[in-house]
Amino acid sequence: MSEGYATEETFTTADADAYDRWLDTTIAVGILGFVLAMAAVGQVVTLTASGDALNGVFLTLSAVVTGAVGLTAGLAALNVVAVESRRVRGVGLGLLAATLLLTAVVYATGVQLVTLFGLVLLVDSVSLVGAGIASWTGSVDTQPNASAGILTGSVFALVGFGIGAAVGGAFLDGPLYLVAGLLGAALFGVGTIVPREDIGSTLPTAAVTAVFAAVILTGAIGPDWQWLPEGLSGGFSGVIVVPLFVLFGSLFTSWSAAKCRARFGARGRQYGAFLVIYLNAVMMVAVMVSIVFFVVSRGVTYAFHGVQIGALSLLVLLAPLLVLAINRARNPSGTSEWHSAARQSFRIAPVAAIGSLAVVLVGLIVTGETLDYAFEYTVLGDGREEVPIDTVAAITPETAVGAWVLAFPTLILAVYFFRNASSLRGVGTRSPTLERVQQAVPLVGTGLALATIAYVLVGTGFPVLVTVGTGLVVAGAAAAAGATLFALSALTSGPEGLLDNAQYVPVGLAGGVTLLAVTAFLEPTVTVSPGVGPIDIVPAVALLGVLVGAVVAVAAAVARNRGGDDRVFVSQALLGLSAVCGFLTILGLHAAFTGAPVDLGVATVANVGSFDWPFVMQSYVPLGIEPGGIYPAVIGTVWLVVGASTFAIPLGVGAAVFLTEYIEQGSFTAVVETATNALWSTPSVVFGLFGAALLIPRLGDQRSLLAGMLVLGFMLLPLVLITSREAIKSVPDEYRDASAALGVSRWETIRSVVLPAAMPGVITGVILGVGRIAGETAPLILVLGSTLNTPNAADVLGNFQLLSSAPFVFNGAVMESTAALPTGIWATIAAGVSGSQSRGWGTALVLLLVVLMLYSIGIVSRTYFRRKLNYE
Amino acid sequence: MSETITETETATESTTDSAQTTSGESQERLREEWTHYRFDGPPKLSVEDLNVWYGDDHALKDVSMDIPEKSVTALIGPSGCGKSTFLRCLNRMNDRINIANIEGSVELDGSEIYDPNTNLVELRKRVGMVFQAPNPFPKSIRDNISYGPRKHGDIETGLLARLLGRDDKDEEQEIVERSLKQAALWEEVSDRLDDNALGLSGGQQQRLCIARCLAVDPEVILMDEPASALDPIATSKIEDLIEELAEDYTVVVVTHNMQQAARISDQTAVFLTGGELVEYDDTDKIFENPESQRVEDYITGKFG
Repeated sequence: MSEGYATEETFTTADADAYDRWLDTTIAVGILGFVLAMAAVGQVVTLTASGDALNGVFLTLSAVVTGAVGLTAGLAALNVVAVESRRVRGVGLGLLAATLLLTAVVYATGVQLVTLFGLVLLVDSVSLVGAGIASWTGSVDTQPNASAGILTGSVFALVGFGIGAAVGGAFLDGPLYLVAGLLGAALFGVGTIVPREDIGSTLPTAAVTAVFAAVILTGAIGPDWQWLPEGLSGGFSGVIVVPLFVLFGSLFTSWSAAKCRARFGARGRQYGAFLVIYLNAVMMVAVMVSIVFFVVSRGVTYAFHGVQIGALSLLVLLAPLLVLAINRARNPSGTSEWHSAARQSFRIAPVAAIGSLAVVLVGLIVTGETLDYAFEYTVLGDGREEVPIDTVAAITPETAVGAWVLAFPTLILAVYFFRNASSLRGVGTRSPTLERVQQAVPLVGTGLALATIAYVLVGTGFPVLVTVGTGLVVAGAAAAAGATLFALSALTSGPEGLLDNAQYVPVGLAGGVTLLAVTAFLEPTVTVSPGVGPIDIVPAVALLGVLVGAVVAVAAAVARNRGGDDRVFVSQALLGLSAVCGFLTILGLHAAFTGAPVDLGVATVANVGSFDWPFVMQSYVPLGIEPGGIYPAVIGTVWLVVGASTFAIPLGVGAAVFLTEYIEQGSFTAVVETATNALWSTPSVVFGLFGAALLIPRLGDQRSLLAGMLVLGFMLLPLVLITSREAIKSVPDEYRDASAALGVSRWETIRSVVLPAAMPGVITGVILGVGRIAGETAPLILVLGSTLNTPNAADVLGNFQLLSSAPFVFNGAVMESTAALPTGIWATIAAGVSGSQSRGWGTALVLLLVVLMLYSIGIVSRTYFRRKLNYE
Repeated sequence: MSETITETETATESTTDSAQTTSGESQERLREEWTHYRFDGPPKLSVEDLNVWYGDDHALKDVSMDIPEKSVTALIGPSGCGKSTFLRCLNRMNDRINIANIEGSVELDGSEIYDPNTNLVELRKRVGMVFQAPNPFPKSIRDNISYGPRKHGDIETGLLARLLGRDDKDEEQEIVERSLKQAALWEEVSDRLDDNALGLSGGQQQRLCIARCLAVDPEVILMDEPASALDPIATSKIEDLIEELAEDYTVVVVTHNMQQAARISDQTAVFLTGGELVEYDDTDKIFENPESQRVEDYITGKFG
């Protein structure tokens, strides 16, 4: 094994432990300094902050770091996530220790942030000197090169020049500062290149850091410091310069410490480079985030006024993310080569982030405090003057969870777990009871479903129907409870129960969830929710199911850890989790359908109240200071995209199939191809004119949602056609041959082999196209009507009418003009229709979010189809 | 026996002569003689004067041959000699090539497959095909196997079938298991039937393709150089498999590899440049004592 690929353990000896921990902590302090300096540059915290203000910052920081390190360490201890690298562990613990120590210092002494920065740099500097000397004297076994190298030397020479010139400029007159600069460059360059690497790459860094520390601590450059160069109208202030010093000082120290930690030499250089790149990447991301932040900041106060969400609701929404993050963290990190540490740290980062957030949220619930952010936004007053209004965005300690907030994530998780569990067919014995349950569940389920349909059609006009319906709901819930308990009986039948009666688990749990789900749908159609006293029966059975699912999952996990059939137990654990989520979904559905909150003691599942976003969830208020929202425009845009997609996607894909699979490639296809390409690059306003001149006279002679849908559909069509054609063409002919050789007809082949294989490409086209049409403004002005004064959202679903004559289906809502986000922006900002400018920016922000949401739906479905192709 | 040898020698001489001197008629007669293979029982496939053109390219010239049931017939010859074209005529895969023009007759159990009334679905169910490069669908192993039967309506699965009480999951499992066992793949994949077929090794993929072909219960299996893309170990597995399959199926296999043809086939047909079938006889005969000088040259490596 060559040195370059040696694992870390090769170089780790017991007596070097203290040295390693020391340097890990130094790196951690460097990272901490870097992050704090970035926060100071971004003015998140001011340099002069001290006392309560700084205490708050450090308390939050401590919570974040504790959550991150704590959750990761906890999962590592439970063997859910592997953290093998000693370096990752060391830096993690170092971060924890350094953060807690700094927090303690801040609390105890009440120093200003700027002083703290100086101290941090001083500590960094001293540790580096210690590490360098330890290596030089041979107290630690290292492999330094003869020199730190020309490149490093040049960098330090440059830094030396800067320091020399600055110091010279402060004390000397005229061009002499140049001499001082050159002197500094020579000193640092020689000091880096001439000595052995362990001295050459620690002492210069320590010196630079010490200079920064001295400048800051002596107050030579403090928050009040100003530099006004001639010829510039502005200047530089200490508020920016001090954090920049800390930023660079921390970067240098982390780099040097990383080199020391990896014992210099080739490995040292690599680790050092990795750390610098990592921190630079963090900075890049931070810069990009701040650019987006600046762009949206103009609209954000308006868009997010009065936003509120309960902490528990947020926690529920975190659950799917946690599962994703754990999944990512469980991926093997490859070989045990030393730089697997890098990959490991990337893998566990999301888990750590969620841990931080969860700790903060739980903290809110426990302490009962509200995490709020106060700000003000402006609206247009009566006399068209800007009126500032105070508002606040808050995470409340509320323990109510919105019904849909609960139902959606848990439904996704239930399906996810269920799909990941492998089939237990043929495992264990088949008892007569199992047979009976397996036969009974579909019968009862179908009966309940038929009853639901009957109640939808007939209604509950007669009292007797309600009585019967109540009976059915009770029977359904009882059957669900029975099936669920049947799953539990696998556990009670002895230690081998989970293996012998393996199929009890899937049959019982799936049966229970299905039956209760059908019952939950039956309930609102009968308009009853039977129960004993204050406890309704459906949520009670759902809670029972949650418990049973959890018990089964834990039992299976324990059985697996004791050793045994991995596949069976893992499947059962996943099925248990799936049932937990499924029953929670039903709990949410029950609350949503019946409108009655479900009280769970510590928490409540409520229909309203846990989430409020006035700007998006309220309708437009025509006049007055109360700003109202853009709900009709959001709904309008969503309907436009949905309508255009339903029109264009089948047509485009169908045409692509026809052009690619059925007709010969020749002049006709060439003409069609040119035409579609030309159509794709046609200006959108031309589409609008086409719609206004051709469609509107034929669609009730008024601008309408339907006309908007059709015009946007025409715009979407060419892109869908082009990308689908490319995707279908790229499906290998081998698949078609293989299918034909089995005697399968062409259409069947297209349907079951070609289209699934082409799906990711088709979806990519749809994603691009939808992104374009969602933000399209010009044609909508012409065909949709750009009215802001629509107080009501288009109620498309509730407006379907069945007619006895052609066209048989009529929808009043799509025949009317409505609002859309892009036209709303145009109207407020460009045309000056009512509302302040910030209202327009807010609308733009919401439009961005809507497009982003559509993108993410597209990307998720593309990933799904790709996975299906690649892994199944 | 001695008479035959004499005849052969005379024939060989006359061929070599005729290469310079004409006498096309006698050459034609000789070719007919050499390609007429006699065997007991009715032929499974009977090809009569088959000609194929790809545009102006005359790819197959007047090929006639009878293929016996439940045996392995190897088609060998240099590249571009028309052996794959011939194979693709046997289940009308050449119909899929727009510029292909086919004349002549191919009978399967005595009924003409180029009859306009022939049911292509039925024909291709009876005459299955395995391609040169393994081409499993990007689906699970199970779905690859059950694809054919499902599309032919032999089994029904899915939610709708289950609701209507017609879920054939057990039958599907049976077909999958039987086909994979026949293709000698069951042992290797029985625990991961729901994994993607593209995750299998090349040799396993090819055996999966054979299993997929077997799942629709064919009578004839056409194989177009089934082992040319595989390593030696996978090749020998496929060869063993072909020999086993010949007990129940009529196998026609195109191969580039003469040793392979000698190892696995019962009879061998040699195609030479220009799309001619030059000689067709028992494999031993072809490899030990061919009638035609050109075939001997080809087999001993002097040409081709």
